[in-house]
This record gives sequence, structure tokens and C-alpha cells, in this order.
Amino acid sequence: MKAKRKPWVNWLLFFTTLVIVFLLGLLASSIVERRAEAVFVNKPVVKLADYEPRNAEWGKNFPREFESYTRTSDTSFSTLYNGNTMVDMLGEYPQLVVLWAGYAFSLDYNQGRGHYYAIHDMYHTLRTGAPTGPDDGPMPNTCWTCKSPDVPRVMNEVGVAAFYSGAWASRGPEIVNPIGCADCHDPNTMDLRITRPALIEAWESTGRDITRSTHQEMRSLVCAQCHVEYYFNKKFPVEGVNYLTFPWKDGTGPEAMLEYYDRMGFSDWTHAISKAPMLKAQHPDYEVFTTGIHFERGVACADCHMPYHSEGGQKFTNHHMTSPLMYITSSCQVCHRESEETLRNNVYDRQRKVAEIRGIAEELIVRAHVEAGLAWELGAGQAEMEDILYDIRVAQWYWDYVAASHGASFHSPVESSRTIGKSIDHAQQARVALARLLASYGQLDEVPYPDISTKEKAQAYIGAPMEKLKADKAVFLETTVPAWLEEAARREATYGQFED
Amino acid sequence: MFRKLYEIIIPPASWRSVAVVVTGIMAGLFFFLVYVSDAASYLSDDPKACVNCHIMAPEYATWAHSSHREVAHCNDCHVPHDNFFNTYYFKAKDGLRHAYMFTLRLEPQTIFIKDAGKRVVQQNCHRCHDELIRNDRVMAFTASFHQHARERLCWDCHRETPHGRVQSLSSVPFARVPGPGSPVPAWLNRIMKNK
Repeated sequence: MKAKRKPWVNWLLFFTTLVIVFLLGLLASSIVERRAEAVFVNKPVVKLADYEPRNAEWGKNFPREFESYTRTSDTSFSTLYNGNTMVDMLGEYPQLVVLWAGYAFSLDYNQGRGHYYAIHDMYHTLRTGAPTGPDDGPMPNTCWTCKSPDVPRVMNEVGVAAFYSGAWASRGPEIVNPIGCADCHDPNTMDLRITRPALIEAWESTGRDITRSTHQEMRSLVCAQCHVEYYFNKKFPVEGVNYLTFPWKDGTGPEAMLEYYDRMGFSDWTHAISKAPMLKAQHPDYEVFTTGIHFERGVACADCHMPYHSEGGQKFTNHHMTSPLMYITSSCQVCHRESEETLRNNVYDRQRKVAEIRGIAEELIVRAHVEAGLAWELGAGQAEMEDILYDIRVAQWYWDYVAASHGASFHSPVESSRTIGKSIDHAQQARVALARLLASYGQLDEVPYPDISTKEKAQAYIGAPMEKLKADKAVFLETTVPAWLEEAARREATYGQFED
Repeated sequence: MFRKLYEIIIPPASWRSVAVVVTGIMAGLFFFLVYVSDAASYLSDDPKACVNCHIMAPEYATWAHSSHREVAHCNDCHVPHDNFFNTYYFKAKDGLRHAYMFTLRLEPQTIFIKDAGKRVVQQNCHRCHDELIRNDRVMAFTASFHQHARERLCWDCHRETPHGRVQSLSSVPFARVPGPGSPVPAWLNRIMKNK
């Protein structure tokens, strides 16, 4: 090469390279854009059958939503009282064992985990017993109703009342997918839809048509299919079938529902110690929420529990439903401009205060049960006990209306406090009457509070056969459940893929 | 000494063409980066520059529906106007932070203004609305201001101004916000389509 070269040659070389690289860059970005188009165009991968129960199939079309849904399997987040970890509530609050003596809840009761575990945890709880055959076991098929998108599928095949009839074990091989997509979505339009007849019927019972709900209302109502107070009506509309019913005819407040139950003479069980005709509140989450300020301002469940997220400019609904304290930024702070810490403390403050009086109610009701038990022992008659037992029933119902409701103390702190206040009042009325009655039978001293400092002591106190229940459960989990799952897998293998 | 450094950096004559081409590639890539990131737009006052990244879409959309749209742009409120150097210093500081957060995907789902930004916005409220709190004639109607304002910020009470009260990255998903547009020039698209 020549030692000397004209400087302009170098410059020409430089600028030519610059222009070429720039043009290549433009071409590259054009290619990148075209590639991105292919990714962003929402192209359904599979066609979904009308009652497709397998969540992963839906996930092929909606990967973001599905991925966030699978995070309901997370159990690592704890808040002051709840979160998504499994908490043994009887271990935490052993007095519950006595409150529910004679009812399956006294055997096993856990703070629920995410939707992902709906089926798994139902297998494992002692409340479902250990059925050895399709007609064995303590629970009816109605118990499946809220646990799986297989439920609307089977209901569609066999009919609603037929679905509810029979023992829980008889539909074990049918109901296997945990709560998911088909429970709330129409597979063709992805619109929200109500799949559980009980909610539709509850609205009809108050003369309303649920199909006229707005989208914002639906964003709460799909949750209200399950997160509500309910009972099994054995007489109506089909004699002998445990028909899932919401007691909403006269209203959704604790007084209205109590009146509803009183009028039909309904009780869930008779208390093992006090012999009171008891009611078990299930989880009146929606009912309590509707008395709170957020509902009054038009906020839906999904606004806080499934907030919108943006990922690279794409907006989607976070399907990881859990405590909003897990993602305060996208739930609370969208409207409230306070710091995360302040907002979290605002929630905890309300929860602490309601928990404080809830604890008082619990102790008083336990005492009432124990004192009533002693009154029976000392020879009290049914006529003398009647009013006392009713007060105990009412006290525990009001307490449970709040205690069983997830997030009640935050959803509606005022309504929660009011209801617990009435519970304390009725418990004390029962105890004043009991004190007089016991005195008339010669019991003048205070009836000692039983030693129920741990779950084990409490369960021994009410005489629950825990060892046998656990042993039977282990056999059930080893033999029956794998057989169910195997049968279900064979059935689902015939569904095939609906490739477009 | 500089002479020595110069001798080390400048390649021997036989490598000179290669060196020139490599420098050309780097310069070309640099200009492409400037072009594709629309870097020049950040020197302007046009609010469209602020939505080059989609993160600011809710802020743009709410402003575009507010009364301030007619009189104040992003920079009128969010950049100090006390002196020329401070304006560009603050703008560069904010801009670099935003570029950093956006590039590394560190943005929170709900954006909060920082303290430095708050002070600037407050100053700018005063800059335009000064009459309301200083002019004695107007003060006849706003006399209570000095009594009530104290340490509070204007938007502690005027909470809707101008971005509304519900805000997150997803709060205005369907708003029509000017996008960055395609970096591919029309002529290139025509050629590509004809293929």
C-alpha cells in the first residue's frame, strides 16, 4: 500500500461507511418491527370448547393472564393476619374448636391458600372425611360446587339438581381442575359470565336479573358466585337434594339472614356442649364488602385483588388474586397517593381493632357454651334453656358473620365492629340468664374456663377422635385420590386439542 | 506527551483504511441511535417528546383533556424556569433518570413525583398564578390563602389538576396518545412492500 494517500480518500471512506451502517440500521429496525407485529397480534392458538375445564388450555391463548394465575400457587406472602400461606386457624385460635364442637370445622380449619390449591386442599382437609367408595363419606356433591371449572361442565351435562345429589366421593373422578378460567369467562368472547346457578337464583329471589349487570358489577359478581354466605336446602326446590342456596331473600346483612334462617327453623348443627341450634357462617365476603366505603364508591373486587398491570406497554389484568397488600402500588396507590407503609398500616390498624373485640366475643361465647353444658348436667329443662340457647345461637352467628368473612375488618370495619358488638351483647345476655339458672341449681361460683390453650387440648376437651380421622385420611389420600386422578386423566385424554 | 499519545492511537499507514471503516461503523451506529431514539426531540418543548416512551401515556392523556393543555406544556410545570442553565441542567438530570429507569424496566406500576420535582412544580404554579396570592385586588377574594396554605402544596387541594386522581401505568389503556411512530422511512417501506 502506498505510504501517502490523499486525506479526502480517507474521509470518503469514512462517510460512505457511515451512510451504509445507518441504512443497514434502518433495515434492521424495519425487520425488528415486522417481527414484533407477529408477536403482538393477538392470535388465539387453540379454539376452546364451551366448558373447557383445563386452565392450561386457556393459558395457550392468554399467556400473561395464565402465568399470573399460576402464581396463586405462591404461599410465601404473609400479612399481619393472613396472606397466602396456609395458617392452621385452630392452632392459632384453639377456642374455635369449642365454638364449633360437634361440627366438622372443629376437626380441621385452615386459612385458605390460592385458587390453585382448591382441589388439593379439599382432598387433604379432615372435614371431607375419608370415603372408601362413591357413596361413602360425610359430605355431599354440593361441596364441589365452588372448587372447579369442571363443575359447570358436569352441571351442563347432567343438570343442576342432579349435580348436587349424591355423596362427595361419587364425583371425585370428574372434578379435578382447580378454580380457573371457565369459572368466570365465556370461552368465545372472554366476557365475564356467571356459571353458578346459586347466584343467579339468589338474584331472582330478590326480583333482580343478573344478566343486566354492568361490566363493573360483574367484576365483583363473578367472585360473589362463591365468596358469600350459603347453606344447603334439603327440601327446596328438590326434596332430598342438598341444593346450594344463598339466604339473601330478605337482605344480605347479618340480621336479615338470621331472620331468614329462624323463619325456616334452619340450623347447621346442634352444639355438642350447649345443645344450641347453631348456624355456621360460611364466608360472607361479598355481603360485608357491599357495606364498605370502597363498594359504595364503585370499586369492584377485581380493582384491588386483580389490579391492572402494564408490561412493556401492554395492559392486562393480573390474575394472581391474593391480598392486595402484596402489590400496593398497583392496587391502593392508583387512587391513594400515600406511601406503601402508610397504606399498609391503615389496613393493619383496622384489622387489629376488629380482631381485638372479636377475641372478646370468642371468649364470652366459649364461656356461654360451657356454662350451658353445666346447666344441662345440673338438670335444667328444655323450657328453661330455650331462650338462652337462642341467644348463644345469635351471638355465635354474629361473631361468625365477621370471623368467617375474609378481609371483613378492612372491607367494612364499621359493619364488622357493629356486628361483633351485637355478638358480645347476646353472649352476655345468655350468660346473665345462665348465671341465674345455674344459681337456682346451686351453682354460685364462676364456672371455670376450660384449659383450651392448644388445639390438641381443645380437641381432647370436646372429645374429637383425631387419631382415627388422620389415619383414615392417610389411606384415602394413598388409595382413592390417585384412582380418581387416573380416571380423570383417561377422560381428559379424549378431549384432544382444538387446533385452529 | 500528547504527541506520544497521538502516535500510539494513530494506526500504522497500512491499517489506516481498516481504522477509518471501523470508526465509520461506530459513527454510523451512533447516528442511528440518535435517530431511532428521537434524541433531538428532547431538546424541544413539545409534549409529544415526553410520550416517546409509553410509560408517560397516562400523564399525557390526562393533561391533554385538562384546561392546562391550552396554556401549559409538560416543561412549563415540570422543569424550572428560574434561569437558562438550571432549566437544562434539571431537564438533563430528569431525562437521564427516566432513560435509565425505562431501559432497565425499573418503572413502578404507579409513578410518584419525587421531592425535587414537587418543588419545581410548586414554583411553576406560583409563576403563573402569582396574581392570585400576591395582587392585593385579587386577594380580596383569596384572602384566606395565606391563612390556610402554610406548607401545603397547591395540588394537596386541587387534586384533579391536571392529571386526575386515578393514576397508574394502566389507567388510560385506550387513550389516543401520539406514539413514537415508525423509525423506518416511508420510502423504505414502499420498497419493502413492493417486494
